[in-house]
Amino acid sequence: MARRVDRGIVRVARWLVPGDARRDWVREWVAELDWARRNGASGVVLAMRALGAWPHACWLQWDRWRWDMLWHDVTNAARGLARRPGFALVAILSLAVGIGANTAMFSVVHAVLLRPLPFPDPHALVAIWSAATDAPGRGYESTPPDFVDWRRDTPGFVEMAAFVAGASALTGDGPAEQVPSASVTGGFFTVLGVAALHGRTLSPDDDPMSAPNHVVLGHGLWRRRFGGDPSVVGRTVTIDGQPFRVAGVMPQRFAYPLNAELWVPLRFSEEDLRTQRGAHYLEVVGRLEGDTSIDRGGQALLATAARLAALYPRTNAGRTVKVQALRESMVGDARQALLLLLGAVGFVLLIVCVNVANLCLTRALGRERELAVRTALGAGRVRLVRALLVESGLLALAGGLAGVLIALWVTGGIAALDERTGISLLDQTRVDRPVLIFTAILTAMTALLFGTLPAWQASARIDVSRGLRDASSATTAPRHRRRLGATLIVAETALAVVLLVGAGLLMRSFLALAAVDLGFTPARVQTFSLSLPEARYATPEARATFVDTLLSRIDAWPHVEAAGAVFGLPLTNFGYVISMSTLDGRRLDDQEQDERSLQVRVATPGYFRAMGIPVRRGRLFDGSDRRGAPAVVIVNETAAGRLWPGDDALGHAFTLGTRLGQGGPPVGGSVVGVVGDVRDGGPASTVRPTVYVPHGQFPTSFLTVTVKAAGEPGGLVEPLGQLLADLDSALPMFRVRTMEQLAADAVARPRLFLTLLGVFAAAAVLLAAIGINGVLAHGVNQRTREIGLRLALGADRGRVLRMVVGQALALALAGLGLGLLLAIGLSRFLRGLLFGVEPADLPTYLAVAVALASVALLASVVPAVRAASVDPIAALRSE
Amino acid sequence: MRRLSITACSVLQALVDGAHYGFDVIERTGLPSGTVYPALARLERDGHVSSTWESEALAHAEGRPARRYYRVTAPGVRALRDATAHYQALLPGLRPARGPA
Repeated sequence: MARRVDRGIVRVARWLVPGDARRDWVREWVAELDWARRNGASGVVLAMRALGAWPHACWLQWDRWRWDMLWHDVTNAARGLARRPGFALVAILSLAVGIGANTAMFSVVHAVLLRPLPFPDPHALVAIWSAATDAPGRGYESTPPDFVDWRRDTPGFVEMAAFVAGASALTGDGPAEQVPSASVTGGFFTVLGVAALHGRTLSPDDDPMSAPNHVVLGHGLWRRRFGGDPSVVGRTVTIDGQPFRVAGVMPQRFAYPLNAELWVPLRFSEEDLRTQRGAHYLEVVGRLEGDTSIDRGGQALLATAARLAALYPRTNAGRTVKVQALRESMVGDARQALLLLLGAVGFVLLIVCVNVANLCLTRALGRERELAVRTALGAGRVRLVRALLVESGLLALAGGLAGVLIALWVTGGIAALDERTGISLLDQTRVDRPVLIFTAILTAMTALLFGTLPAWQASARIDVSRGLRDASSATTAPRHRRRLGATLIVAETALAVVLLVGAGLLMRSFLALAAVDLGFTPARVQTFSLSLPEARYATPEARATFVDTLLSRIDAWPHVEAAGAVFGLPLTNFGYVISMSTLDGRRLDDQEQDERSLQVRVATPGYFRAMGIPVRRGRLFDGSDRRGAPAVVIVNETAAGRLWPGDDALGHAFTLGTRLGQGGPPVGGSVVGVVGDVRDGGPASTVRPTVYVPHGQFPTSFLTVTVKAAGEPGGLVEPLGQLLADLDSALPMFRVRTMEQLAADAVARPRLFLTLLGVFAAAAVLLAAIGINGVLAHGVNQRTREIGLRLALGADRGRVLRMVVGQALALALAGLGLGLLLAIGLSRFLRGLLFGVEPADLPTYLAVAVALASVALLASVVPAVRAASVDPIAALRSE
Repeated sequence: MRRLSITACSVLQALVDGAHYGFDVIERTGLPSGTVYPALARLERDGHVSSTWESEALAHAEGRPARRYYRVTAPGVRALRDATAHYQALLPGLRPARGPA
């Protein structure tokens, strides 16, 4: 047995040797090995010796290699492709779609998950959240006193900073403008490690309440509004009605958090630090010291949190911290979906490869004559394989270039979806150098994948004599090639089934989301936000009066059904949950307080009518609910059911632990009405117990106006802006949106995922159909004579038809079975993206099975009809 | 013409010293077969070595296939001398090249 090993090694290497040298080469190696064996060499020694045949063969091949031969192959292949533009076009287009989709998807993954954040040493950056001890994985915003304690007491951090993202009105120097902004503590720019382009950034010196007001401008804002003039540093600008001195200008591309263009100091008074241990509104970032891991930093913070819990049990018991890498906290659960989509798009490329391999295989069958001629003229097998691989390379190159064009076109559209889908960093999506390198490697691998198999197959067992006689007259293709084609079709059908099941599940889940009742009617509601600067609207009365005037003017318009305003518009990620301090005149103990926390909304009487939120019991607010009158509240059904189960909520009274910054009494009053539940966080969210208090009694300075139009709401925007300018020309309206837009945005992320996977699945099914069609059509072509013979011998045409269709169904069913098994295994990875549907959803699988079988039938129609209409006389005469 | 490599020198020297078949060269030089065979092929391409087949009759008499017989050409001998002189200057311990026996 061992003696045969050396012969085997030589026999395999034989194919690498150029044809003209092969005979002598084999003779020499066989003779030498034979001689060595006679002289007593062991099997191992012989095998070792025989291994030298490989370098020998490679050297001979390499010695023949000429670059001009490669060029010859390239021009030859190009001419060959140009002779069959149909084949080339189909192959290049499928490759372009496959490579383009992968490039686009990878550029998204690269932007969101891989490319380093645009800060120095981004690995040291962490986000720090408060969390409940019983759910440490779910972080939420922190409080001023907690932040100050964390920062002071925790080792291992270079710096920590807190910030609140928002928007600020910029007035003077031109029209009033609302700019995305952030209030930040002094360490913010140290944490991020970015210096100012002109002037300075904010620093801890800006933290004391007594420090002068300074602002840092973003690059875009500076160019747009101040003409890019460096001397703006030191000038005074008006922000939200107050003077701020410009401290500095940030470099281009610095826009954290979100798209901030303006940074002002975030300050905490002594009173804030005493009383705000329950006010969760701060986002916190930190930079770890050089050798501190995220785990170590997290441990240190946990220790601090435990100390705080012991010191302030009333607010901090059961509270801990959650530390995560900054990118992780920015990207959140989009990560899983993006990786999943990248996997799915990889499937599409595999299908493309299979399809193009099949095309090449079919084409190679039609080229038997050409290959036979070349073999007869002395071309070795390696030579033929190389020529065929060069052709694949050309196809892949053209497909890759076209794919990059597709990717460039698609990524622009995807990048613009960052705000609607809420996926951070999505706006950074672009086709840059790393992405192009990825595409180049992908293209090369694609060429090898779809090129090698057909090339090897085509060059094997070339029957020179038969090929030279007339390859096209062969009655049937060699059996092994037909089997290979069928295997490829089954494989690609299976992959298409997996994608189809995934898309089907996402579709069902999207429909389930869309069917959820949000608790209000988004149709025809126009909204915009307002922020009344404290400098000019200092008293609660001034704010209440302004809002009253504004809303009554709007209400008087003929094409307006109702106008209202709210602090805390649904679908805007507006959480404001406060615990209850008294209930029906009784002070609650700590545990009772925690159990009875309510989400707070401030609303005007018209708000409920404009949004179509139904009254279940009692009444809505009216004009008499203002400061000085008895305090009243409205609760939603969930709050009523939870606070007074089985009892009527009306007439009960409570207060919460906040004054909403109004300086008056704490928020609360007696319940005068119960309204329907609203899903604030979108269709997949749970309803939170909510209390509404009248704006007349708690006139917040930030408000969103909601106007229900009688007709198209878009026509309201201009008159609303005009009205606002008439009332106060320095008051910008911002976040101008319709509720329908917001409702659409709430499902923008599932919609994006569904669209992408849907497109991938559609492409996969189309490719599978093309593949089935191609194999059948070729089979019919090859068997024209056989079919003619059958018909001549009396077989009826229906039978021929059934034969071809049956072949298609057999292929499709094999693929379907395999694909469904794969899908059952893989669909559980989708679980996190599904809503209201299980990964093993039977109707989806059934629908996919029916759809795929229909597609296979459709794909077989043309070849089947062609087969049935074969003219037996013509078919036989050509023999 | 580029100077011969040390490997090529070793192979040529082995042929000069009386090894005439591939496996003999391997045994005499101690180099692996994957080194010797490409070297022989290259030497032959460059005209330093020529090959014929040993006589069929002789091989038949021993009941084995005929082996490929390598011999050094005149340009091969010259190239070997030049190269050995060069390497000798670099490595003084190296043995001088001898002519064919």
